[in-house]
Amino acid sequence: MDGGGRIHARVVSHTGAEHRRLANKVMEEVLEQANLPFDEISYIIATGYGRMNVPFADRQITELSCHTKGVVSLYPNVRIAIDIGGQDAKGLKISDGKLIDFVMNDKCAAGTGRFLEVIASALGLKVEDLGSISLKSTNKVNISSTCTVFAQQEVISRLSEGAPLEDIVAGLHDAIASRVVKMVKRLKVEPDVVFTGGVAKNVGMVKTMKDNLGCEVSVPEDPLLTGAIGAAILGKEITLKAMAKGEFIPRKERRLEEVTFFK
Amino acid sequence: MAWFMGIDIGSGTSKGVITKDGKPKAYHLLPSGVNYKAVAQKLRQELLAKVDLSPKDISYTVVTGHGAGSIPFGNQQVADIRCCARGINSIFPSVRTVIDIQGMSSQVIRLNEEGQVTNFAVSERCAAGSGRFLEIIANVLRIDLKDIGSLSLRSKHPVAFTTGCAVFGESEAISRVSEGISKEDIVAGAHKALANKISTLLDRVGLEKDCAISGGGGLNTGLIKSVEEKLGIQLLVPPHPQFITALGAAIIAEERQNHQKG
Repeated sequence: MDGGGRIHARVVSHTGAEHRRLANKVMEEVLEQANLPFDEISYIIATGYGRMNVPFADRQITELSCHTKGVVSLYPNVRIAIDIGGQDAKGLKISDGKLIDFVMNDKCAAGTGRFLEVIASALGLKVEDLGSISLKSTNKVNISSTCTVFAQQEVISRLSEGAPLEDIVAGLHDAIASRVVKMVKRLKVEPDVVFTGGVAKNVGMVKTMKDNLGCEVSVPEDPLLTGAIGAAILGKEITLKAMAKGEFIPRKERRLEEVTFFK
Repeated sequence: MAWFMGIDIGSGTSKGVITKDGKPKAYHLLPSGVNYKAVAQKLRQELLAKVDLSPKDISYTVVTGHGAGSIPFGNQQVADIRCCARGINSIFPSVRTVIDIQGMSSQVIRLNEEGQVTNFAVSERCAAGSGRFLEIIANVLRIDLKDIGSLSLRSKHPVAFTTGCAVFGESEAISRVSEGISKEDIVAGAHKALANKISTLLDRVGLEKDCAISGGGGLNTGLIKSVEEKLGIQLLVPPHPQFITALGAAIIAEERQNHQKG
């Protein structure tokens, strides 16, 4: 992101087990895309679950702060942001661009994207295809198990009983949405509602979230990037503020070294 | 000569017991599979063959368990919790609390001196609270389920599982393997995590001694140790812990028959 807030390059990559090596790789790619030398980057903020494993970051900021910043930059009137990722689901209550409350589930795979991943693999389907399959359903199957492990078994029994795949897949989407919506309702939902995270790329989930919430839901063009965008904005703000005051900002050395905790 | 039968069709395995004068005379176990009706028939046939009897020799049959409703024979269906309480009481009359750990659920049952249920709590909504969790961990570590308990007893530094979810627990186990942590420390941690869940379940109904363990979990020495450490008590372990519910069903069958006669 430049000083005017314009985004020049974006990279999304699978995390895997080695956060540090990945952070380097993502940085290399994004610099190449933007056609910039590493030295030119004024400030780097790392966020997310693996933010402590970004050796070259000047500062770490929690995903809640970055996420709020990113969503607000895209939707200034946002009141509720719902983020469903591969290992957690969060609801953020935002007022005047500030985070005022949040709810989160990172304890149970049901109600996160992980639920869909596990069951897609049991059904031999790609996660990317689930959304469009679910939209074909005319009579969704109710999934009674809460637990991902038990739901996987339930899905296989429904299939063997002859229930159509699209009705089962639609039922799975509904199961996650109802769990997440139940949690987010603790924040008193009011529009505008923005939906982000990897699961927001799923058209079936967007539809069932709207149905379960009973209101419109906006999804950014790149729903996986809101946290990173927020981090870049915070970095820009920190830098511009320091420059205005004429202060020196301490920075990490701009070096991409192969650090890994696997020797 | 009156013989009685108890059939317990569980989600994973189906168990049958034949009793005479309140004592077990034959045990039989089969995987439940998907067709409960077929497995119940096969189980009865093979169980009868063990004591050289035919169906007409059985005076009364009680059926129980997850698949009890699909069994095409049997004089009566009784809830598995009642059967489990009656079964443990026939072996250990002093038991007032039984922890029953099965493949898809766990239950804690409080009972009186006559083997009647006074209170219970069931964990069936979450795989992390049942034997299923250990199955998942055994599978990801490529260990035979029957070895997981003895392996865990060799652990010196059990890892702490930060999650209470079987799916996330599986990922945690994989991460620990990639960090070079030994399988015994990982499985010992998994046993501790399950013991914690059992302890939470016990908090809902209270613990009164003596306390016994039943179900497939009663075959796992590592789990018994973890639960004992967590609760700070000694558990009574019956012979054939998987058959306690089926045994209780057979004993209830006997009592029903005597009651009808009397």
